[in-house]
Amino acid sequence: MNSFSRLPLYWRVCLINGMVFVVGTAALAISPATVSPRVLVSEAVVLTIGLSVILVLNSLLLRTSLAPLDRLIRLMESVDMRHPGQRLPEAGSGAVSHLVRSFNAMLERLETERGRSNAMALAAKEAERHRIAQELHDEVGQGLTVVLLGLKRAVDRAPDEIAEELRLVQETARSSLDEVRDVARRLRPGVLEDLGLLSALSALATDLSTHSGVHVRRGFAPGLPGLTPETELVIYRVAQEALTNAARHANADTVELSLSKQGDGVALLVADNGRGLGSRPEGAGIRGMRERALLVDGELNVGPRIGGGTEVRLVLPVRAKP
Amino acid sequence: MTPAGTTRILLADDHGLVRRGVRLILDSDPGLTVVAEAGDGAEAVAVARDQEIDLAVLDVAMPRMTGLQAAREISRGRSRPRILMLSMYDNEQYFFESLRAGASGYVLKSVADQDLVEACHAAMRGESFLYPGAMSALVRNYLERVRRGERVPAKVLTPREDEVLKLVAEGSSSKEIAEILTISLKTVERHRANMLQKLGMRDRTELTRYAIRAGLIEP
Repeated sequence: MNSFSRLPLYWRVCLINGMVFVVGTAALAISPATVSPRVLVSEAVVLTIGLSVILVLNSLLLRTSLAPLDRLIRLMESVDMRHPGQRLPEAGSGAVSHLVRSFNAMLERLETERGRSNAMALAAKEAERHRIAQELHDEVGQGLTVVLLGLKRAVDRAPDEIAEELRLVQETARSSLDEVRDVARRLRPGVLEDLGLLSALSALATDLSTHSGVHVRRGFAPGLPGLTPETELVIYRVAQEALTNAARHANADTVELSLSKQGDGVALLVADNGRGLGSRPEGAGIRGMRERALLVDGELNVGPRIGGGTEVRLVLPVRAKP
Repeated sequence: MTPAGTTRILLADDHGLVRRGVRLILDSDPGLTVVAEAGDGAEAVAVARDQEIDLAVLDVAMPRMTGLQAAREISRGRSRPRILMLSMYDNEQYFFESLRAGASGYVLKSVADQDLVEACHAAMRGESFLYPGAMSALVRNYLERVRRGERVPAKVLTPREDEVLKLVAEGSSSKEIAEILTISLKTVERHRANMLQKLGMRDRTELTRYAIRAGLIEP
């Protein structure tokens, strides 16, 4: 049986068919059955039964050989790259299971490739955001500041009836400036670049407490190794996403945000006391975090926290600053 | 020649037009006069070293040397002028970092036309100038600490100051507070000043110490 299952698929089909024909022919030769020149009804019945037996036998034998192929086709048709990790069992050692193994390996490669290209797209997006934020800040922001300062001088010297109108314009310019600043900040956290990762994480924590009332407990270990800007940005974005999830979906009232040394690398932990993940499938947010982690060879784990809630842990290797 | 009693100001911003606008605002106040301008941080440090100034107004984000780095250098220097930061960012991390760098105040560009002159005078009196966002962040943090039952040293606030405190924590501006409590803007400002004094957030050193203790910034 073992050497049979190692045969190429073509020879297996030939062999199965051959065997069935041999059995049929042998039955015809050995049994006393004969066929008259003009076929009798009884003979026709025997022939029909014989033929059916041959067909059924053939189909059963072929089916056991080809079933994995059907399963493979079904998976190929239904595989969804957005939910990685779908694989076929790789039992047996025949040609079909070889195909299954090749297919599994291909899925693996595709998933890794997809992750990488997503990471590249993310990096490109961040770079673009950076540029836009910079321009908003340097060009539009400064321009509006000049307008505001000029208006102040104009208001001070204008006659009353015009001053009132100018004041309205002034307030519009002021709120536009605030808006430009907020848009630029959402596009790119300036704090990260100017003041470093810990200040940026602190600012995230304060923002969350201010806007959602969730209490954030901070714990930043002293003497963390120096990180590359890319790594810092990944940590920042993952923390941002995890904190947002904790406040928005998990209904948590306390979140722990910590950054510590782990072996040669650093570990970011965001743990909330909310209602946990449950059996919900991974959302776009978590996938996004995974892809970002992949960008700097990090490992992201999302799971239940001991004592209830959710825990997001990101472990990153440290590479020396370029 | 600047008349005695006027504050001599060094103004640093990399954007020429902004510099011109700020200069016009500052010069229009009889007590203030801009005696030097700089286009980046390094230039500001050099000017502060070579020239007699009382106050440096620095943009937080500048090329070559950021305003924060320049503030650190200038406050370490011999003449030790007062320092004010001018910034686009409404973020208390910048504010605290500015305090740590030696600045006594932080003025948002979006309200510079209203606040800058007042901030200059406050800095010269040795007081810190808190922009509204930083004020509410500090007060909110204070209230949270009280709620959690932490021992927070503070002298007892009057009921009126307490009301002002809560409104500040909710992010109301002085003008809004004045309207809500139907008192004058001047009275609100006085309550705010008293409140800060009692909470131990009056000047730069106290504020920095508070922020570090409260975990708002890293020590």
